[in-house]
Amino acid sequence: MTIENKKGWISWFNPFKYGSDRWMFALHRLTGIVLGLYLIAHVWETSNILNGQVTWNKIMVDLDYPFGVHFGPYILSLVLVAAVYHAFNGIRLTIVENGLMLPRPYRPEYPYKAKSLSGLNNVLKIVLGIFMIAVSAIGIIYIFTGVII
Amino acid sequence: MRESQIMFLQYMTGLLILVFGSFHFLLISVLSPSPQKVLYIYSGINASHILVGGTLYYTWVKAVYSSLIWGSVFELLLTFLVYHVFNGFRVILSEIIPGGRAEKAITYILFIAGLIVFIWGTRTVVIGLGGGF
Amino acid sequence: MEQLILKDFGEVVKTVTFRVRRYDPEKDDAPRYEEYRVPVQKGMTVLDGILYIKEHIDHTLSARYSCRMGICGSCGMIINGKERLACQTQILELGKDLIKVDPMGNYEVVKDLVPDLSKLFRNHQNVKPFIIRDEEEPKGEYLQTPGQRERYAMFTDCILCGLCLSACPTSASDELYLGPQALAQGFRYIADNRDLGFEERLNVLDSKHGVWRCHFSGACSEVCPKGVDPALAIQLLRQVMTTNVFVRFKQKGTETGPERKSVSGVS
Repeated sequence: MTIENKKGWISWFNPFKYGSDRWMFALHRLTGIVLGLYLIAHVWETSNILNGQVTWNKIMVDLDYPFGVHFGPYILSLVLVAAVYHAFNGIRLTIVENGLMLPRPYRPEYPYKAKSLSGLNNVLKIVLGIFMIAVSAIGIIYIFTGVII
Repeated sequence: MRESQIMFLQYMTGLLILVFGSFHFLLISVLSPSPQKVLYIYSGINASHILVGGTLYYTWVKAVYSSLIWGSVFELLLTFLVYHVFNGFRVILSEIIPGGRAEKAITYILFIAGLIVFIWGTRTVVIGLGGGF
Repeated sequence: MEQLILKDFGEVVKTVTFRVRRYDPEKDDAPRYEEYRVPVQKGMTVLDGILYIKEHIDHTLSARYSCRMGICGSCGMIINGKERLACQTQILELGKDLIKVDPMGNYEVVKDLVPDLSKLFRNHQNVKPFIIRDEEEPKGEYLQTPGQRERYAMFTDCILCGLCLSACPTSASDELYLGPQALAQGFRYIADNRDLGFEERLNVLDSKHGVWRCHFSGACSEVCPKGVDPALAIQLLRQVMTTNVFVRFKQKGTETGPERKSVSGVS
């Protein structure tokens, strides 16, 4: 008799011990789920524009002050960061998953470090990461202060 | 459709969402029709929670929904997003419950759910464009 | 100089604790952990530690191994949370006093540290890991330049240890997924200029649990003990798929004949 030893879907979100790509996969999936659920909520939210001024303004205030606390900017910032991360990592994945900017097949040499996880892939990560931080920072500053840089 | 065609569309819609999503973000900041480019303006200093202005104020949102350009941007963005999101959900769920009848059921349920979200959003855009507020 | 090296040889440097996951199908209902104290000499591998336990402490401990030098790929295990070959992992290089040894994940466990690798071999078979030709009897040599060989040579280094399937996050939940090993081998034969079997393999590779369920988390390449870089092979395979995305293939009962071409060039 053998027993199952599956790690299960929960291990998607356990990126420790492996490289940076593994972290980015976990975050990509997490932000994807969050943004997908947010889309459904957002379609409901915006459909209220058809219900007149009083209802719309009330819902806008309720979303900015859920339970009477000023959480709105924090929720918006989280969604923004998730969207920006998913977008920039998505650009990288579109390039890399279609075999572009990857090394040609090479001769593995000890200590057998995988070249597909470094090189241009790493350059992409750094460049897009800088863009990601910049865009998120501009967005968060706008959400909290209303200042457009 | 072959899986490679489905996933090709997944990448393409992803890139299109990037373009149209940036318009969406510009709309609520730089391109906002409201005179003050702030999301919320409340009356009173001590935040009495009465919305009096800002991008999300009824008048300005209504102005956006009445414009044909923004209406079509929203409609296209919605189409791409619904495909991308629900195909993404299908991929994730089919990896949790792979194979057999369950996977087919997941595909159909998500197709219908995506259709509902799409129709719901389209309703907002179409009625908004028709001026039926 | 030689004497100096020999002087240190065989001396016990320190004692470490092995925490090994045990499961005996005849006695246990669920796996449990047991701890053993193992004196470590210089140059001792985790496999040596396990064999020490088997010889001196607990004879019932089971593990699979054969060559002890990273060629056969039998002794894949999860050592301190990461998939490694036990015979290639130096205890002193781990630098820990506690060494946690688990059987590989995403496989069924036969006993203790012995996984049932039949899933790996089944997936490997499904991608048809051999050169497919139209003619029944080869009429002569199939020619290949060194450059053409370079395009797939690194993927032939696979030793079927199965570490990549244990590390892969998609295999962790999706038991129908082909896995990095099979997909890399699929690419190895598709990239071979002598092979004509792209369309035959398409049924398996382009299926709902084929190449598109890879999300490039790179865990397979991270743990591969031979540097085969399965993640690279999968992305290159996907490039072949993307470039042929609008091409119509006869997937069932593929045609044969002189007009059939290899994907990677004229054969």
